[in-house]
Amino acid sequence: MSKGVLVDITRCMGCKACQVACKQWNDLPSSNPAFKDGLTSPPDMDGYTYTTVQIEVIEKDNDYTMRSGKRQCMHCLHPACASACFAKALQRDPKTGAVVYYPHLCVGCRYCMLACPFDIPKYEWDKQFPLIAKCQFCFDPNGKYDRLGHGLGPACVDTCPTGALKFGERDELLKEAWQRINRDPKYIKKVMGEKEAGGTSWLYISDVPFENFSFRPNLGTRPLPEYSHDFLKWTPVIAVGWGTLLTALYHYTKRREKIAAEKDKNVHM
Amino acid sequence: MTNHFIDFKNSDVFLMIGSNSAENHPQAMKWIMKAKDKGAKLIVVDPRLTKSAGLADMHARLRPGTDIAYINGLINYIIENNLHFKDYVVNYTNASFLINPEYKFEDGVFSGLVEKDGIKSYDAKTWQYQMDGDPVKDGIREEAIKKDPTLQDPNCAFQLLKKHVSRYDLKTVSQVTGTPEEVLKKTYALFASTGKPDKAGNVIYAMGITQHTYGSQNCRALSVLQLLLGNIGIPGGGVNAQRGESNVQGSTDFAMLNHLLPGYNPMFYASKHKTLQDYMDKDVPKTSFWSNRGKFVVSMLKAWYGDKATKENEFGFNYVPKHDGKNRTHMGIFEEMSEGNIKGMIAWGQNPAVGGPSSFQGRKAMEKLDWLVAVDLFETETSAFWHRPEADPTKINTEVFFLPAAMSYEKEGTVTNSGRWLQFRYKAVDPPGEAKSDLWIADRLFKAVKKEYQSGGKYPDPIFNMVWNYDIPGEDEPNIDQVALEINGFEVGSNKALDSFGKLMDDGSTACGCWIHTGYWYVDKEANTVAAKRRMNKDKSGLGLFPQYGFAWPANRRIVYNRCSADPAGNPWNPQKPLIKWDALAGKWENADVPDFKAVEPAKEPGGQATPVTPDKTVSFLMQEEGRGRLFAVKGVNDGPLPEHYEPIESPVQNIISKQQTMPLATKFKGDFSKIADTGSDKYPYVGTTHRVIEHYQSGAITRNCPTLAEVSAHMFANISPKLARKIGVNTGDDVIVETIRGEITCKVAVSGVCVPLNVNGKEVEVIGMPWCFGYKGIATGASANDLTPSVGDPNTNIPEYKAFLCNIKKTGKH
Repeated sequence: MSKGVLVDITRCMGCKACQVACKQWNDLPSSNPAFKDGLTSPPDMDGYTYTTVQIEVIEKDNDYTMRSGKRQCMHCLHPACASACFAKALQRDPKTGAVVYYPHLCVGCRYCMLACPFDIPKYEWDKQFPLIAKCQFCFDPNGKYDRLGHGLGPACVDTCPTGALKFGERDELLKEAWQRINRDPKYIKKVMGEKEAGGTSWLYISDVPFENFSFRPNLGTRPLPEYSHDFLKWTPVIAVGWGTLLTALYHYTKRREKIAAEKDKNVHM
Repeated sequence: MTNHFIDFKNSDVFLMIGSNSAENHPQAMKWIMKAKDKGAKLIVVDPRLTKSAGLADMHARLRPGTDIAYINGLINYIIENNLHFKDYVVNYTNASFLINPEYKFEDGVFSGLVEKDGIKSYDAKTWQYQMDGDPVKDGIREEAIKKDPTLQDPNCAFQLLKKHVSRYDLKTVSQVTGTPEEVLKKTYALFASTGKPDKAGNVIYAMGITQHTYGSQNCRALSVLQLLLGNIGIPGGGVNAQRGESNVQGSTDFAMLNHLLPGYNPMFYASKHKTLQDYMDKDVPKTSFWSNRGKFVVSMLKAWYGDKATKENEFGFNYVPKHDGKNRTHMGIFEEMSEGNIKGMIAWGQNPAVGGPSSFQGRKAMEKLDWLVAVDLFETETSAFWHRPEADPTKINTEVFFLPAAMSYEKEGTVTNSGRWLQFRYKAVDPPGEAKSDLWIADRLFKAVKKEYQSGGKYPDPIFNMVWNYDIPGEDEPNIDQVALEINGFEVGSNKALDSFGKLMDDGSTACGCWIHTGYWYVDKEANTVAAKRRMNKDKSGLGLFPQYGFAWPANRRIVYNRCSADPAGNPWNPQKPLIKWDALAGKWENADVPDFKAVEPAKEPGGQATPVTPDKTVSFLMQEEGRGRLFAVKGVNDGPLPEHYEPIESPVQNIISKQQTMPLATKFKGDFSKIADTGSDKYPYVGTTHRVIEHYQSGAITRNCPTLAEVSAHMFANISPKLARKIGVNTGDDVIVETIRGEITCKVAVSGVCVPLNVNGKEVEVIGMPWCFGYKGIATGASANDLTPSVGDPNTNIPEYKAFLCNIKKTGKH
C-alpha cells in the first residue's frame, strides 16, 4: 500500500492554485519566465518549479476546446531515476511511494534526467554547483517541507478548488479512476500511470489524449529499471570497486614516495 | 446575486454568459462542478474559448456586444414553442398587466424619445400601466392596474414582449451574433428545458454583460428570461452577477456610486430636493417595501449626526452635500479632470491609470491635478502616473502623496461576497512598515479635516456635527465594533443593536448607517457571537443555505424573491427543494429560508399573538411597487421598457435588427475622450474585447507585485485566430501592435483557437481578446489594454463599453 494522487483532466479548470501552492510550500523562488502562449507559465518545469499546469487549446468537433493538466513527478513504483543514480540521491520511500531526492548525495551527473520516461527532473542550470529539482510529493522526513509524514495531503492537492486532484491510497484511487471511467463515456478508457513505466503513484484520467499534456506516446509498461538493472546493478560495485582500487593505488604510490623520502633522509644524514 | 455560490449545487442548467467563472470566480466553479457531478449541464456563451467554455457541455461563440440578440432570440424561442412556465408567469410577473395603448416601438426606438441640448432621453409616460389613479401621486397599486389573466390582450405586457422578440428568429439572431443556427438551437433548447416546476436554470453573468452601452438592458434581458422560465426565487435558479472583487458587493452596498446613498437609496439632488420632505414626496414610493425608505434615510442621518439630527433641522438633511446633477461617474470625472476643473483626487484602492477606459488619455488628464493621494498596497501606475514611460516628469506639477494601506488579511472587518454574505474576518498578520488599515486612514483623515476647520472655514457644521466616536483610549486602531454597531443600527438612548430593519423609524428614535445590513451585528445566542462572525455549519435544509454562517443581507435571507419558489397556494413548485411552504393544516408557513414576504402579521398589542398571513395575501416581489416581476419595465431603467439589440458604439457592421445603429441614449464625452471609429472602418477592421486572467486581480496592482503570481502570468498578450495570424504573418510569441483610433499598444501574440472568425451576416469578423491587467509598475509589466478602449457608457450606469470596440493588429518591425 502506498499513496497516490488521481488527476482528473475533465475537472481541472487551469487555475494554477496548485502551482502557486507548491512554490509557497517549498519556498521556491519565482522567475520572470519567457512567454509561451498566454496560458501555461512558466513554459515548463525548471530548476525552481516542481509543477506546472499545462493548458492546451485542442481541436475538437470542428471547433476547439481547452483542457488543463497539472504535470509533476509521477513518483514511479519502480523509478528509473533512482536506478540510474549511482549516488543513491534518489530513493523511493516504500511507505508513501514518494520518490525523494537527497541533494547532499547528488553528484550532479544528470543521469536521472536522461532516465526519466516523463522528462521530469530539471537542473539548476544557472548555478555553479547545480542540483536536480523535482516534486518531492511533500514528503520530507524530519525536514520542514514535510506534509505526508504529518498525515496531510500534498500542498497542491489541498488547494485544488474543483477536486481535479485527489489524494489517497493508490489502490483505492485506481479503483475510483475506473469507476469514473466506466460511469461516463466521455473518458478515454485508460488510467495513465496504472501500468506505464511499471506503474506510478500519480494517476491521470482524461477525455482527450494524454499526449496533449506532453506524455510520451507508447510509454511501455515494463518497469524501466528492469531494462538497465542487469548492468546498472554493477554501478555501485564498479563505483566503489574502482574507487577502492584507485585509493589503494594512491596510498601505494604515496607510501612509496614516503619510503623514498625516508631513504633520502637517511642518505643525507 | 439573487442566489448565492453554494446554491449553484442545486442547478440543473447553467447559462454562463459574459462571465468566465473558471478564470475569475474559481470558487463558483467548485459548486458548478458539484452540480455537474449530479448531471447538471453548463452552457457558456462567450466570444472566446475561455477556461469555463473548455469545461462546458456547450459553447456558443458570439460576436462581442450581441448578447441581447442572443437572449431575445432565446426568449422568442421559449414563447414560440410555448416553453415558458405559465402558472409562474401569470401569477408572479406583470405579464397580464395592460400597458398604455399609446406605447410604440418603431425603427428601434421606443415612444417618448426627446432631445434637449443634443442629449437624448425618454419620457416614459407611454410605458405606464393602464390603471385607476395617478401612478406618481397614488403609487403603482397592484389592485388598480387593468389586467388580462388570459394574456391575450394585445396591450398586455406578455403580448408586447412576444411581439417585440418575434423579430429575433434563429436566422436573424445568427446573422447578428455570428453563432451558427444549430448552436443557437441546441443551447436554446437546453436552457428552455428549465421552464418546468422541478427544473432550475441558473444565469451567471459578469462584466461581459454589463460593460456595454446597453449593459443594463443586457441584465434586463436576462431577468425577463428567468421570469419567463420561473427561475427567480428558487433554489438553483436566479440571475447571478459574479462581482469583480471579493468585497465589491460591500462597496456598492455602501454607495460607492455617485447616485446612491447607502442601502440603495437614491442620492439627494440639489435640483429636486430642497428639503427632506421633497425627498420623501418624490423618492419614497407609495407602495412596496420601499415605502419604508423614509425610515431608512432618517435613521441614516441619525447615525451620521446623532444628537445634532433633530426633527427641527430635518435630521441634518442640509449637512449632506447634494449631487449637482453632472456626470460624476468615472468617465465624467476624468473628462472634467482633463478640462482642469478637478484639482485633487484620492485614489483609494483604485488604479484608474490601468483600469479606466481610454487610460492613455486618463493618465494625461491626471497631469491637471494639483494633488493626488494614492492609498494602496504597492506603488501603482496611478500613483506613479507622473513618471510613466510616455511622460516628462519635469513638466508635471502634481503633488503626489502615497499612503501605504493594509491588505484585507492585515486588518479585521467584514467582506461581503457576491451572494450578499457578510463575513467578519480577523486579522491574520500585522501590516508591514507604516501600512495602516483603511479605517485608520479614514479616521485620521476626518480628524485632520476637522482640525483644519477649527481655524475657520465655510459652513463647518457638517464636519463638527458628524458623529465620530470611534476612539479607544490607548489604542491606535479605531473602534471597529462601534463602526459596525452604527452600520447595523441601534435604538437611540439605549444604544442596543437592532435585530431587524423592520424596527427602523423615521422619528429619530433609531439610528442606522446602512439599513440592508441591520441584524449583522446582532448577537446570535446559539452561536454566542454577532451574526457576521458566525461560523456554524448547520444546514438542515440540505440546500446549502447555512443560515448561521455569517449573515446574508437583507434579513439573513439566502435566496431573495423566495415566495416564487412555491405556487400561489404555497406548495413548493419542486417538493424536493422546498424553501418555503404553507402548512394548510397548521395554518402557518414552514420556512427553510427567511421568507421574502410578509409571512406573519405582528401582534397588534405587546404580548399578543402574531397571525400568519395566508398565501393569497402574500406578495411575490416585495420590492416592486406593483408587487410583480417586470417582463415589461414601466420604470427602473431609463433606456427602454424592453431589451433591444443595438450595435456597440464601434461596430464592424450595420445593425440589421432596426434602423437605429447604436443605443440612442449612450453617454459620450468631449475632447480627448471623444474619439470613436466609424462603423465598418477599414482602418480598424477587427473587434477587440478585454478580459481578465486568473493570475491577476483587476488591474494587477497587487498580483503583479507578488512574485509567485507575476510568474504564472508574466506577459501582456493578444489572442488571435490562426487565420488572422497567417494573414498578418505572425506566430505565437511574436511582438505585435494593436491599435485603435485612441492609441496603440505593443504586446506578445498568442495564436490559438481561443478566438476564431465569426460569420456575421456573410462577413467574416475576427475577434481579438486581450487581458487588461498590465501596466508599467510591479514585477510583471506590460502594455495596458485600456489604452485602446473607448469612453462611451451605458445611460443608466455609465459603465464604459470595454467589451466591444474596433481595432487593427499588425506585426512589429523587430523580428
